[in-house]
Amino acid sequence: MDALPRPKLKSKKPKYSRFTQQELPAWKPILTPGWVIASFVAVAILFIPAGLLCLSASERVVEIIDRYDDECLPDSYSNKGDSFIQSKDTNKTCVRTMKVPKKMTAPVFIYYQLDNFYQNHRRYVKSRSDKQLRDPGFADETRDCKPEDNLHGDENEPIIPCGLVAWSLFNDTYILSKGNKVLDINKKDIAWKSDTEIKFGSDVYPKNFQKGELIGGGELDETKPLSEQEDLIVWMRTAALPNFRKLYGKINSDLEANETITIVIQNNYNTYEFGGEKRIVLSTMSWIGGKNDFFGIAFLTIGGICLFMAINFILLYVCKPRPLGDPSYLSWNRNPSGQ
Amino acid sequence: MNLDETKSVDLQEDELPGLHNSSSHRSISSNSLRANSIKEVGFVDLRSKEVRYGSRGGSNSMSMSRREISDEDSRLVYINDPLKTNEKFEFSGNSVRTSKYSVLTFLPRNLFEQFHRVAYVYFLVIAILNQLPQLAVFGRFVSILPLTMVLLVTAIKDAYEDWRRHRSDWIENNRLSSVLVNDSYEQKKSKDIQVGEIIKFSANETIPCDIVLLSTSDPTGVAYIQTINLDGESNLKTRYAKQETVSRIHNNEKINGVIKCEKPNRNIYGFLAYMEIDQKRVSLGPSNIVLRGCVLKNTSWAVGVVVYTGMETKVMLNNSGAQSKRSHLEARMNREIIFLSFFLVGLCTVVSICAGVWLRRHRDELDIMQFYRRKDYSGEDVDNFKYYGWGLEIFFTFLMSVIVFQIMIPIALYISMELVRVGQAYFMIRDDNMYDETTDSRFQCRALNMNEDLGQIKYVFSDKTGTLTENKMEFQYASISGVDYGGEKTDFYEEQGGYFAQVDGLVLRPMMKVRVDQELVRLSRSGNDTKTGKQIYDFFLALAACNTIVPIVVDTSDPVEKLIDYQGESPDEQALVYAAAAYGFMLIERTSGHIIIDIHGDRQRFNVLGMHEFDSERKRMSVILGCPDNTVKVFVKGADTTMFNVIDKSLNLDVVRATESHLHSYSSIGLRTLVMGMRELSSHEFEQWRSSYEAATSALMGRAGLLRKVAINLEKNLSVLGASGIEDKLQQGVPEAIESLRTAGIKVWVLTGDKQETAISIGYSSKLLTSKMTQIVINNNSKESCRKSLEDALITSNAPRTSTSGDDGSLIALIIDGTSLVYILDSELEEQLFELASKCAVVLCCRVAPLQKAGIVMLIKKRTDDLTLAIGDGANDVSMIQKADVGIGISGQEGRQAVMASDFAMAQFRFLVPLLLVHGHWNYQRMGYMILYNFYRNAVFVLVLFWYALFTAFTLSTAINEWSSVLYSVIYTSVPTIVVGILDKDLGRTSLLQYPQLYGAGQRQESYNSKLFWLTIADTLWQSIVAFFVPLLAYWKSDIDGPSIGDLWTLAVVFLVNLHLAMDVTTWNWIIHASIWGSIVATIICVIIIDCIVILPGYWAIFHLAGDGMFWICLIGIVVASLIPRFVVKLLVQHYRPSDVQIAGEAEKFGAIIESRSAEIEMNQHHT
Repeated sequence: MDALPRPKLKSKKPKYSRFTQQELPAWKPILTPGWVIASFVAVAILFIPAGLLCLSASERVVEIIDRYDDECLPDSYSNKGDSFIQSKDTNKTCVRTMKVPKKMTAPVFIYYQLDNFYQNHRRYVKSRSDKQLRDPGFADETRDCKPEDNLHGDENEPIIPCGLVAWSLFNDTYILSKGNKVLDINKKDIAWKSDTEIKFGSDVYPKNFQKGELIGGGELDETKPLSEQEDLIVWMRTAALPNFRKLYGKINSDLEANETITIVIQNNYNTYEFGGEKRIVLSTMSWIGGKNDFFGIAFLTIGGICLFMAINFILLYVCKPRPLGDPSYLSWNRNPSGQ
Repeated sequence: MNLDETKSVDLQEDELPGLHNSSSHRSISSNSLRANSIKEVGFVDLRSKEVRYGSRGGSNSMSMSRREISDEDSRLVYINDPLKTNEKFEFSGNSVRTSKYSVLTFLPRNLFEQFHRVAYVYFLVIAILNQLPQLAVFGRFVSILPLTMVLLVTAIKDAYEDWRRHRSDWIENNRLSSVLVNDSYEQKKSKDIQVGEIIKFSANETIPCDIVLLSTSDPTGVAYIQTINLDGESNLKTRYAKQETVSRIHNNEKINGVIKCEKPNRNIYGFLAYMEIDQKRVSLGPSNIVLRGCVLKNTSWAVGVVVYTGMETKVMLNNSGAQSKRSHLEARMNREIIFLSFFLVGLCTVVSICAGVWLRRHRDELDIMQFYRRKDYSGEDVDNFKYYGWGLEIFFTFLMSVIVFQIMIPIALYISMELVRVGQAYFMIRDDNMYDETTDSRFQCRALNMNEDLGQIKYVFSDKTGTLTENKMEFQYASISGVDYGGEKTDFYEEQGGYFAQVDGLVLRPMMKVRVDQELVRLSRSGNDTKTGKQIYDFFLALAACNTIVPIVVDTSDPVEKLIDYQGESPDEQALVYAAAAYGFMLIERTSGHIIIDIHGDRQRFNVLGMHEFDSERKRMSVILGCPDNTVKVFVKGADTTMFNVIDKSLNLDVVRATESHLHSYSSIGLRTLVMGMRELSSHEFEQWRSSYEAATSALMGRAGLLRKVAINLEKNLSVLGASGIEDKLQQGVPEAIESLRTAGIKVWVLTGDKQETAISIGYSSKLLTSKMTQIVINNNSKESCRKSLEDALITSNAPRTSTSGDDGSLIALIIDGTSLVYILDSELEEQLFELASKCAVVLCCRVAPLQKAGIVMLIKKRTDDLTLAIGDGANDVSMIQKADVGIGISGQEGRQAVMASDFAMAQFRFLVPLLLVHGHWNYQRMGYMILYNFYRNAVFVLVLFWYALFTAFTLSTAINEWSSVLYSVIYTSVPTIVVGILDKDLGRTSLLQYPQLYGAGQRQESYNSKLFWLTIADTLWQSIVAFFVPLLAYWKSDIDGPSIGDLWTLAVVFLVNLHLAMDVTTWNWIIHASIWGSIVATIICVIIIDCIVILPGYWAIFHLAGDGMFWICLIGIVVASLIPRFVVKLLVQHYRPSDVQIAGEAEKFGAIIESRSAEIEMNQHHT
């Protein structure tokens, strides 16, 4: 009715687009019985064979474990492991034998296993200097390494490698023999390639290491650069969990079933003071790694549950079907008075 | 004086058709009567009376007009003497500052304001704690990164907004005005204007400060102003200069006087002052002041003295402090966050107690333990190294665990919610379905913190006029002397442009065209001679003359054609005058002394001898005209209730009866009715009236009361001229909208100032009421009778209905009027009313005052948790809009005041349906899901960290890289939840509109409730256990290193959390695809980048890990095992207790099949 024409301004009408109207083409999945059963069956089909595969792989792995920290303690020192290990005069050599239960095909991996050793302790994991390990220019980069940063607190005498991690280097040694024949332990390439080639410098040499008042563990050959000190490199990949293994070396020959292996151990490393345990582990490897039944069982369980669910839902959909999208199921249609 | 109170008095009657009470009502009387000074009395006492909820009716107090302004509460303004006025430098300058910051203060002030948010303080405290060497969990830079980012983004946003305010301030402050300096007007910048100066402004100029009018170009001192910037009303208002000053300016005399006025306050409808001039005290009221922001119209110039400047002007004082509302969902969420903080404290306590036990058990071994090494032997003395004693270690562990587990409190959620709301607002604003063509206006989101509340509304309180109706009054029916005209109407456009008048060669046309009754046009042309002709003549003369409309001539493109625009405050009066013009009685000119009406080409001049304005007691107005034939007539126009009391029924009983029945039929079809009456005054009567009128106006005390008495004496023994029926058309789509809302389970209450019959008939036409409903009417005049009606009504409402099925027969409609509400609200009867109202499907409140509207909203709000929404268009709805949980302003005919007070604004009532049913539903569902998901997302990660702490001798070292833990909530998982929060749609628009009942999902809180919260927490616990312990068991006693397993946990949790979201998304468009899969890819890239940094211990870990079969098996196993319980529960719920949303979603996809199937069945039935 307004006879006055409005001055024509730019219209504010929103420009139409499928985006602004929230009408973008979209896929709207609905969980139909078919999809539900198919997905359960698919998981079951995937997981049950996978579980079996894992189990069989784990089954094929042969593993020999021997705990020696208590066995290698002379009776006179029982309960005094501390003083035994700290003393310079005690004989730390210890001989253990073990039997190969099944044939172990090469390569056989030798691990040492520590229990209750918190390599993930906050004080410990931070006590290292990755810059120093890589570059000789950063030799005095020892801020985080306290109290193993400088020799006798002298700033001009940085310890390389500094910090608690390096300081506590594991230093038990093993000599394995089969019958009278000493087995060759290959200690090359036990560390990650990325570590030996890049992370640890080939021109960084140990210095002032284990020269302090308190010896924490193994010593290093000062003539070899860090990149070649593979035991150290392995040790410095700090373990995630308090019970861990670390690779000691590899034997490149098969071990037959029922063979007896003799191990001569230099029991140098002190775990007695905090009740840690030491073990030596010989193990073969499969595609899932070492011996581990957990996955097999877990996968079989999941697969089984899914199969069970699939059957249950089939029964449910057959016995008590609900038509999808039937408006008569809407609440106001079911009980019209109950609005 | 409280702003709300006064406003309510001004506006309470504004819906009474045709009679306006509004304070700025002008009085037009002959010059000889010096009538201007009468007005202030009416003014002041109208707004001075005490108001409580619901009080209305006549004013009786005279106290205010005589109230002295005490010295402490006043300021003295020496006219034209700014030096003396500003002697004490107590008044501010006229420069305004709406900007918050300057270059110097920006940083400190902005930071200060940002840290008002608890969330940011939490961030800050955590970051500071982390800086202490004993507690340094994260690196310095990493720990402050999230906080800095948030602060920076917000600061940039604030700076930009403030820059824009600076710019507009600069423009405002540098506008020029002419100021009287040394007896001549000079141009001065707005910011330099001082209190006491005299300024002059011309037509169409915006007033730069609050001024008291001294004179205008009109010899009587009238100025017309437009207050669109102030309250948004576009019609003209009149302001008066005092007679004492008008002449002086006109004669170029100097003015020396003092104005004593109130201290600056926010009340834009009130002003209390007096002026001392020539040893005379003249009182000043709101009609004498022109406020900053007003525009002078239709007056060539005006002069005034500055009283308030700059930030002290009323408009600036009103600018500040829009009260902010909080979203209900957010309030609920905060409760759950409190629980989460207890949970956080619990986790930290567990960790610190365990750490204490561990330290105690190993206390003898700590000194040389390889991985602890308490003793430092390197120095002279053997010291403890970084060991502060058992107790302190526990305490530090506690603080450190707070730092590590900080994201348990989902701080990022607050920021995400803001982003999501901005996104949702973007789509609401751009919705085609909420765009109005006629006014070219989009939907507006004025508050950005309550989108989700739109999905849970249970009560809608709606204004009627302008909200349900268009507020475009159209004259429809006339009953003249008992004859009803208005059956057949021609559309006016067919005829040649309608009625026009020719004046001095110019063609004048009314701006608005009205459809007319041909028969009545013919009769009205027939002239004054026949009896019918005479009656019709008087009737239209009453319409054209008995009002306060100001005709304004507007140019058109054609130079000889002009349009007449009738400006006035009452749309009803406008409609009447336009109608009169269409029938040939065209009001052409109005001055304070006379009016000129063009009657069928014959220009006639009527002297306005006096006018009695509308007041709420009489509910009518009258005008005394000196006619060209030298008779004096009084024309009266008013509400039927009071008009029939003053009509002389003995005169023509049949006509009165017929008119009454016409009125009844008009109001029953929803028309607004008015009755016109007339009496010819004998010269004796006139003289008598004149003397008493003069006596009343010059009285010093009780002027208003005296004037009312004079009016009542005059307005009697009238002969009835007729009645008018004005239609206020329903807006398009209102009945459908109301039906949708009702189906959606929303109770619609209509609160209106109209009378009961009109309200009920609008109720019927808008489908609010149906004939099957049981109506309960409460219409009482005392508290006792109210109590009784309520009790009776409760009995009625409790009685079993005859109809049991779902049709309207079982529904009750409550109709209650304002007078009853006066007795009920704020008394013990409120409880009963609430009980009754909650049983009613419809509640109609008629004749309610603005403050009562707010009172009714509070009646519901106080007693339930249900969300309320108020929608209105006028200033009288402001209080209700502010009180309701969600306030919506209609940006239509009336001003912008309602819009200013609202949270959302739109052009049409019917947009409420897409707003609530579609956007509200979506927003609620999205936001509810997003909150739960964010709780879950953060808690899963924290729990994984927590489980790991149990395997690190409780020392809180983390396997997960510190960068990853910071990026987790910033990059790895943040984008998908925001995108889903903006874009996911559980149902399409069509389904939501087709089944309004689906709105119940929000009302029943289906997307966010404590059951869902606890389910989510349980699910979180399970998922975190799976995500943590699967890798743990897999790598137990293996040579895995910390960073590697950390990468595995990071990836596992991120995959899990994103796939969890993917499982719940219902609408997969490309953006959601991109965000979810993109996040996973981004995470992988970030993890790779982090593992490529040589100096981190985790160098190359991810590559080693990926070469290991166990890693992949772990990932798949974790994701599947974690999600199975959720998936199964979801399936079972969907099967056994499908929600409406679920079924509708299925119907959307498979609906076609079912429809066709049912069609088939029907076909088969037909065959058999």
